[in-house]
Amino acid sequence: MKLNQWAWLPVAAISTSVYATTYFTTEEAQQAIFPGEKLAPAFVTLTNQQAKKIEDATDVNVRHKDIKVWKASGGGWFILDEVVGKHEFITYAVGLNPDGSVKQIEIVDYRESYGYEVRNPDWRKQFTGKTSAAPLKLEQDIHNISGATLSARHVTDGVKRVLATYAIALK
Amino acid sequence: MPLRSSSQRRARPLLGTLVEIAASGASAHLPAALGAAFAAIEQIDRLMSFHAPDSDVSRINAADAECEIGIDSHTSHVLHFARKLSELSDGVFDVTIADVLMREGFLPRQEGVAADAPAAASFHDLVLLPGDRVRWRRKGWIDLGGIAKGYAVDCAVDALRAHGVAGAVVNAGGDLRFFGEPQPVHVRDPETPTSLVPLGVFSDCAVATSSGYFSDRLSSGGVTEPLVDPLRRACVRWRQSVTVVAPDAMTADALTKVVRLAAQAAPGILERCRAQAIVIDRRGMRQCGIAMPAEATAA
Repeated sequence: MKLNQWAWLPVAAISTSVYATTYFTTEEAQQAIFPGEKLAPAFVTLTNQQAKKIEDATDVNVRHKDIKVWKASGGGWFILDEVVGKHEFITYAVGLNPDGSVKQIEIVDYRESYGYEVRNPDWRKQFTGKTSAAPLKLEQDIHNISGATLSARHVTDGVKRVLATYAIALK
Repeated sequence: MPLRSSSQRRARPLLGTLVEIAASGASAHLPAALGAAFAAIEQIDRLMSFHAPDSDVSRINAADAECEIGIDSHTSHVLHFARKLSELSDGVFDVTIADVLMREGFLPRQEGVAADAPAAASFHDLVLLPGDRVRWRRKGWIDLGGIAKGYAVDCAVDALRAHGVAGAVVNAGGDLRFFGEPQPVHVRDPETPTSLVPLGVFSDCAVATSSGYFSDRLSSGGVTEPLVDPLRRACVRWRQSVTVVAPDAMTADALTKVVRLAAQAAPGILERCRAQAIVIDRRGMRQCGIAMPAEATAA
């Protein structure tokens, strides 16, 4: 067999500027992290002083002073937060055990963009088929992008901020 | 929790990236199967992290020459595969390069790594002993960054299969493996990362891609390398994407590095590993090796 060769292939590119996935509604995420428990809203608004303390403790910016928190009937906490990277916008949920340790982290919503599309309400229209192959079924065909090695650094920083928020404003 | 559908998609921050798992099958089993798959990835992350002080990798890196170190069978499995690939590639693939990565600032410096000393050890110097034990013949440092992510994906797939899941896709920051329903796979065009190139439809295999465009962050023109083009009086930008399709994700992950560093020797190694490589650069797309059973869109 003659395999020791590189063979050229035709390229058919699809132009896209937005890639998005929603994993959970808030309620679904709550039930995934605290199955069977009741969650009661316990939203808090950070004072300037608390926000400063959190920033000093973590070196991470506090973008929103309104913190979306729920208290689970078993004593745990559910916090919904978001992080914005250069090209991605991620909503995620952190479940804390009653002692404040991390129980579970779930990505709730993920959006990736390479321009101003994230601000555009018609962003779905940005998907443009430019291939001779079958028309794209959005959100079905473009799930599997090999090599889209996105950093989880923003989420990691966000979790740090959530833990500091717990220590300073919830505990 | 009652489930409406028989497929679920979840994502968690793990392995320094976002890991997404989509699984389909009997609704009642899916949450447990997904939980077990994420737990399997967490375990590999713990064992093979360069940063965690109690990981197998850190214990190997802390050990002096001639000291025997007991390691987990998972770590042992990865090291044996790495050794096989090092031999196949004449050392192009080598996990004992962490001292270079530390010196260059890609990994945090550890004690005992001299700032200017040449790389001392090679893969020959990490002796793999029976019973999941290893020993340095000559002191070195390992990093499994080029291989552990793929292995973690394989472990997640094993967990999903063990739970009777009908089909699944595990995606660890672009290292993919799937079984069940055939899956269309895309890769970014390295010239314009906002464009996706369809690679084809694959089933029961793994696809990994190594490319400059996301190694730090996406910029308009890829990653600048310390190599100067004298005609342009500018640094060369690395705009090539190397994808490997292989039976498992550890093989696919590791082979992307081999193809990138040793294009000449790559065809023979790909054949030995029953893998296929697809390279995309400004000249177009080319492939080499054994095509996996798939309806390749591009073919």
